[in-house]
Parts: sequence; structure tokens; C-alpha cells
Amino acid sequence: MQIPNVAEKWSGEVIVVTIGATKEEGGTRQKVVKVGGASCIPFMDFEGNPGHKPAIAMDVLDTPPEDLPPALLEPFKDVISNPALWAKKCVEEHGADLICVKLDGIHPDKGNKSAEEAVKVVRSILQAVGVPLIIWGCDDPQRDNEVMPKISQATKGERCLLAAATQDNYKNIAANCMADGHNLVTLAPVDVNIQKQVNILVSDIGFPLDRIVMFQTTGALGYGIEYAYSIQERERLAALSGDKFLAMPVLCNVGYESWRSKEAKAPDEEAPGWGRAAERGPLWETITAATLIQSGVDILRMYHPKAVAAIKKHIDALYANGN
Amino acid sequence: MSKENHSYKVHFLPHDREIVVQEGTTVLEAAHEANVYISSICGGMATCGKCKVVVEEGHVESPPTILLSPEELTNNYILACQARVTSNLLISIPPETRIEGGQILLSSEETLGVTAGKIHGLLPGVEYKHDPLVKKIFLELEPPTLDDNLPDYERLKRAIMLKEGISMEALEAGLEILKGLPACLRQNREDRWRITATVAQHGLMQEIIHIELGDTTQAGWGLAVDVGTTTIVTELLNLATGKALDIEATYNSQMKWGEDYIQRIMYAQERNALEDLQKSVIKDINGLLSILLARNHLKSEDIKAITCSGNTAMIHFLLVLDPTLIRKEPYIATANFIPTLKANELGIKIYRHSPLYCLPSVAAYVGGDITGGAMAIGLDQEEVLCLFIDIGTNGEVVLGNKEWMVCCSASAGPSFEGSGVRHGMRASSGAIERLDIAEDLSLSYKIIGNGQPRGICGSGLLDTIAALLRSGAINKSGKLLKGNSPRIRETEEGLEFLIVEAAQSTTGSDMVITQADIQNLIRSKAAIYSAVATLLEAMHLKPSDIQKVYLAGGFGSYLDIRNVITIGMLPEIPTDRIHFVGNSSLAGARLSLLSQEAFARVKDIASKMTYFDLMSNPRYMDEFISANFLPHTNPDEFPSVYQELAAKHPAFR
Repeated sequence: MQIPNVAEKWSGEVIVVTIGATKEEGGTRQKVVKVGGASCIPFMDFEGNPGHKPAIAMDVLDTPPEDLPPALLEPFKDVISNPALWAKKCVEEHGADLICVKLDGIHPDKGNKSAEEAVKVVRSILQAVGVPLIIWGCDDPQRDNEVMPKISQATKGERCLLAAATQDNYKNIAANCMADGHNLVTLAPVDVNIQKQVNILVSDIGFPLDRIVMFQTTGALGYGIEYAYSIQERERLAALSGDKFLAMPVLCNVGYESWRSKEAKAPDEEAPGWGRAAERGPLWETITAATLIQSGVDILRMYHPKAVAAIKKHIDALYANGN
Repeated sequence: MSKENHSYKVHFLPHDREIVVQEGTTVLEAAHEANVYISSICGGMATCGKCKVVVEEGHVESPPTILLSPEELTNNYILACQARVTSNLLISIPPETRIEGGQILLSSEETLGVTAGKIHGLLPGVEYKHDPLVKKIFLELEPPTLDDNLPDYERLKRAIMLKEGISMEALEAGLEILKGLPACLRQNREDRWRITATVAQHGLMQEIIHIELGDTTQAGWGLAVDVGTTTIVTELLNLATGKALDIEATYNSQMKWGEDYIQRIMYAQERNALEDLQKSVIKDINGLLSILLARNHLKSEDIKAITCSGNTAMIHFLLVLDPTLIRKEPYIATANFIPTLKANELGIKIYRHSPLYCLPSVAAYVGGDITGGAMAIGLDQEEVLCLFIDIGTNGEVVLGNKEWMVCCSASAGPSFEGSGVRHGMRASSGAIERLDIAEDLSLSYKIIGNGQPRGICGSGLLDTIAALLRSGAINKSGKLLKGNSPRIRETEEGLEFLIVEAAQSTTGSDMVITQADIQNLIRSKAAIYSAVATLLEAMHLKPSDIQKVYLAGGFGSYLDIRNVITIGMLPEIPTDRIHFVGNSSLAGARLSLLSQEAFARVKDIASKMTYFDLMSNPRYMDEFISANFLPHTNPDEFPSVYQELAAKHPAFR
């Protein structure tokens, strides 16, 4: 008996976004990272092209974080006050595809650092590593509007990924990214319709669709992962069905969200029955990432080297195509 | 003497009415007592800022408020709901705060009256037999003789039977009629007893509610009432000619207890305040009634019948029926078909035996305003697939034809009725009813009646959103784009768009549409669109399957159909299929009053319509968010809007 071929035929595919620019392209990166390109549901590669492998961006903070759980501080304790060395360690020792510079320090409540200081940090990281950068504001609209244009200008030509444009605050950052040749993260908290609306608004001012990465906010394991999962799954299905305003690659903030959960950060003495904190935290991050990958994710922002190693192995296995 | 015993005179201008109130009474309460109507939407919660009045003489105790500008404060403006009387006062009520009536124009079908024994619905060909629920019958009775010794009551019933064909068994009367009958009949000094009996339908029975000497058949009046969540409209009708004589409307005073009826139900339940809500709506109706009576030189006894159409919750409030079960699963009303009641029992000041008829509901969230509207447009007789939408505080949608009808209800909010919008108002004199912005960004508008604008009504607001979008003053999220128009300016509360400068408006201050107004209007249109989309999807139909669309609502006499689609309130349907029918709820009440056939048809429609619950439908919220965009999050669904706007605006290319 012949088994019928039940493979789905999809009419659309995820747009390929290129992050980083080499010397030839006007930047200083040693390599670029391409994300997107899938024309099938994740890992159903008999239906189409699975696209580029999900890339892993490791977070580096511009200002030393105060309350990191010990298990998370441990691998970075020697570099925690030096973002450039921190980034270098992430790339050289832990194999990060991208560095995500999180500019927490510019937030009014977390130091209110000047744009010049932020630019200095970003420049030092650009010099220290050869991978492309994601540069993320502090999520305070006013401060972001002051600082992000300066960051954009200072990194002109590097084709970074800047974050984030929202429905209420998109023009400033989008206009700067457009002028300086960067990619842009569009953010809509857990709502596929609003995500699409932000993408339309950004494209209305002339921003090219192939320079957008979508971010729905992320829920960690046990903290709303199902919401993030189903929204991302809907976005991927919309992209494959030909909706060009939802066809951009998707980013997840796995590290920060996972390590906010008490299951990840509770020290051994507080939760002796939960297993060793040094293992538990990275596991929580790993499982969050592994689950979300299944919904269709192109960039994972992560924290812990052990989780990064596990997920890299996992991705390689998924993309080994049966070998 | 204790302090509470101080009382002061409050004199209101331009009404020139005076009232004596206790110290500490608010100016708003004083105005209500003096029957001076002051615009107030929040009903004394100090949130709407509509009740601005000017203290000309005297002083009040008034807490600080951000709702008055520094300029207004120096000109002695106060909020009537917050200011307490502490001396004799002379208060003048500025034009924008006055609720002025009598300025809604009657439409041609309303004033047409009976032709060839028929009254007319809202569309050509929709006609019902003129046969009022309450009618006056002129009778000439033979006085009794020894040969014909039938008693007076039976004699009366026999005469009615002979004249109208109503069987004697179906006729009833109350004690008061019986008691007065012999004397009334014998006032006749002639050989025959000439009297007029007023007979009211009462279920399957007919009740004799009034008898009087002589032929007064032309002197019988009735009242049709649209009891809306935001607006109450009353229409005075001559029962014999079928003509509408006058119309009057007001905002529903229950708004002080919440913008939508769910909030009001919660308030009634939590505060045990159902009776307060009922008294409030009765007071509104009586207030409108007294204006209509005075203007038309009639007495309250002259009104012999009243029909009410309204959503299920409003009818519950009107009748003091417990509304709490309406909002709890499985959403059960006390009754869909309300029996014939006495208006008098409810406190409505008309002839004491006059009946009150309520148009029947379909479900907890689809009421007599919709069944009546469907009857008025003859939806149940249509061959082709029709969509009927009533845009009110609730947007109700009916889909169907003579074979089947499904309906649903979505909470749209009162913004298209002019409430919840800074310079919004009802469609009455002085309202901007249409508006356009030309290529050169110059703005033009048309006002209902003559004179200078007082505010913007629903159709004008709808035009405003479309014009702002077309001219690029707002983006597809509805956000005002500073720099895209010289009329956009920044205030402490955010951006706003200048529509009329102070010098050109009666209010003496700039008329604007604010960012918050625009957002409210977009939410309202999104609620309507998503109700339509969800209902279509549930029936596996596409917008293109709809052959006729009937849009109803208190927009006044005009609605730009193209703009309804441009802003994405309706899916793209060829505009020649879309018809604006005005206030169909009121038409339902009017036709029912004038035609027993029409009233029977409403009942038939109510029993045939299938209710579709949006609240339990997960698609609805999704549709709603995607409709919260101009025209819609899916551009593919609005190709002609994109095509039209592309010429004017790069964002649509």
C-alpha cells in the first residue's frame, strides 16, 4: 500500500534578516548572522526549508547587575563590571552567535547614565568581539528616545539589531535605524494583532520589512510560557500562510525571564528539595528555550553558559536532518 | 438656629427660573429641582466636566478641579455638580452646558401619517395596517327602551362589537369605567347617545380604558419612547392620523451610575439601588413628556398609550425588574415578552388607565430596540441576505432574511452618541453633522440648523476620523502625528486637533478632538466591526454575500456611508448596498403604537431570532483587537480603501 504524502504546502516563508556587517559591507564584524528563511513549521523539514538555525545571543549588561543569583553570577564574576570582557568571554568561551547589550544603566531608576557613557560601552564591546550586536534600550520611552539615536549613529554601518519599537513609541527609533542602516526589533506584548499593527506602522514610515525582528515578550517555564508559545506559533503560521506583515523572524528573551522565576534563582538553603541551584537555574533556562524553539524562534537571548551549551547541542541535533 | 436650616435662592439664566434650596445643595441638584437641564454625563462624579456654569452673583463652596481651565476659573466658571450653595446665587448656564430640545427634525416618513389605511416603515414598501394598539371609537348608542333593556355596559360592548367587530367576550373594563358609564351616557340630551370609547389591546383582550361625551376620535395621542442606554427619545403621535407631531430627546440620567448597563446593573445590585435607577429613567421620560405637552398645548390626560423600545436591561430598569440575572451565566431575563402594563403604575404621568407596551426582547443582550428596528425595516420579509446594525451604546447586529435571523450584541460605548468625547453631542441643533478636510488641509463642516457650532454629533465624529486619516493627521493606530497638520497641538493632556476656533463657536472656547476621543471612537467602531465579522464567520459567510446593509442609530439625518467603510466600522461592501435608516428603535416603537399588525410582527420576529453569544466566543476578542486599527490590521480586507487613500497618503501605497 502506498502511503499518501500528507505534507502541507505553505505559500509564504519567514523573511531572512542579516545582522552585522563585515569590513566589505561597511562594518567591522568578523561574521554576520542570518536568521529566518523557514518555509515550513519548525522541524517539519519534509514540508519545506527549515531556514537558518536559531541564533543565540548572550546578554551583557552595561552596568553591573546588583541582585544576580549566585548560580548566574558564578561564571561571570570576574568580568561582571567590564562589559567588554564579559562579551568577549561569552563569545570566545561559550560560543555566543550574537551579543545583546542591555542598556539598563540608562534607566532613570538604575543609574540614569548619559548617552555618551552608553555609547562608550557599546564601542568597547564592538572592539572586544567580532560577532554582531543587539543593542537594547532600558524600556523607559523617554530615556530610550534620548539615548538610542546616539547609539544608532555611533554604530552606523554595523547593521546592529536595535530594540525596541512599540505601538506608542516607534518613530524615533525606526527613523534612526533606517538612517543608520540597522535592523529593528518591534515589540507587542503577547498580542499578534498589535504586533502586526506595529509592523505596519513602522513600514508606513518607510522602514524595510526585511530589517525587522518581532518580539512578543517572553514567559518562562511556569510563568506564562504557553502564552508566548501560542502567539509565536500563530505568527509563524501567519508567516507561512503569506501574511507579509507577520513574516519577520522572532526573538525570545529567555535568559532574563527564566532567571526571574523563583525556581531558577532560589538558593540551595531556601529550597533544599528542588535540587542544586547550580543545576536548577540553567535547567530552567534550557527547558524554557527548548520549548519555545518548537513554536518558531529565530533569536534566543540567553544568560547562563550551561544553558547556552545545552541549547546549542539541541539545535544542532534538530538541524542534523536525521544524521 | 442650626446651620442646616439656612436656605438660599438660586436663580438660573437664561431660563429665568428660581428655586429655594438648603445650604450645601449642589448647583446641579438645584438645577434639577428647578427643571433646568444641565449637561452632565458622569452625573456628579466630577469626571466629565460637562456641567460648567458661571456664577454671576453670590458665592459657592467648590473643591479644586482640573476640569476647569485657569481662564475659566477667572471667569467664575464652576462645576455645577461639585459646587455647593452657600449664598443666594445668580447662575448663568453657558450654551455648551444647556440641553436644548425640540431641534431634532422629524423625518418625512414620521410626518407622513396614514395613506390608504397604511402606515409606513423606514423603507419603501414596508407598510403596516393603521390599527393603533389604543384607539378611540366614536359610538352612537340607542338609549334603552322596554323592548331593548340591555344594561349600559353590555350596550356599550354591543356597540363596539357592531362598529369594530370586536367580540363582546373579548372586551373588558375597570370599575371606574363601570361607575362612570351611566352618568356619561346620560349627559347626552339628544335622541341618541354619542360617546367616544377608548379601547386598548390587552393581550388577547381589549380593555375599555376611557369614555367621554361626543366625538373625540381625532383627539387621541400616544407616545413612542426609545429608552436608550445613553439617549432617551420620545415622540408624540396622533393616534388617529398616524402623524408624528413632535420629538424630544435627552441623555439618560442613569449615566451617572455607569456608561454601560452592565455597570448600572452592578451598581443597582451592590447598592440595592434598582429603584433609584427606575426613578431616574421615569423622571427623564416625564421631563421629555412635559416639554412635548407644553409645546403642543396638550394635557397629560390626553396621552392614551405609550410604547417603549429598549434593550433588555433598560426595560428591566424601567419596570423595576431585577436585572442581576442578565449579567450572570446563563444570562436570563425576567421576561422577553412583557405583559401589557399600566404606565401609571410606573410613575409615568399620563392618563391613569393608559397602557404601556414594551417591544419584546430576544435575549438578555438583544432587546426590543432591535426587534422593533427589524420590523421597521421589514427584515423578516427580505428575500436576500441582509445585515442590520444598530449603532448605539451597544452595537447590535442582525444577519438574515425571511428564512432565518441571527443576532448578537457588542459593547460599543456611547462615543458615537456624542458621549465620552470632549466636544461630542447628540444630533440636534448646533451639532456639526458632517466634516471634511481638503487637500490643502482646510477644514469644512456643516451644522444641523443654523448658527454656530455647539459640538460634534456621531456622523460628524465619524467623518472627522475618516478625514484625519485621509489627510494624514493620524496614523493607522489613530495617533495624532504632530507636524502633519498645523491644527495639531500639544496640551497637558496630550495631543489634540483643532476643529473650530473659539471665535467661531457658541461655546466661546476652541472645539477640538483629543487623542483620547479618537481612541474611544476607534474602540467603538472596532466593536461593531468585530461583531459583524464574528457573526459572519459563525455563519460561514463572507462580506460579499451580503446584499443589503441597514445602518441605524441616532446619527440625525445624515451619515456618510463611504466613511463608515473608510474607518473600518463595516467590512468592504459596495456602498450602494448600504442604507442609513436613522433611529430604527424609535421607529419600532412608533409603528407598534400605530399598528397592531406591526406589534404582532415584532413579537413574531422576537420569537424567530437566534441569539449568538459573543462573550463566550474566543474569536471575538481577537477580531476586536485586529479591528482596533484604521481601517483594519489586515489591509487585504480593505482593498478599495487602500486604493482610495493611496493617492493621498504614502502610508497606503
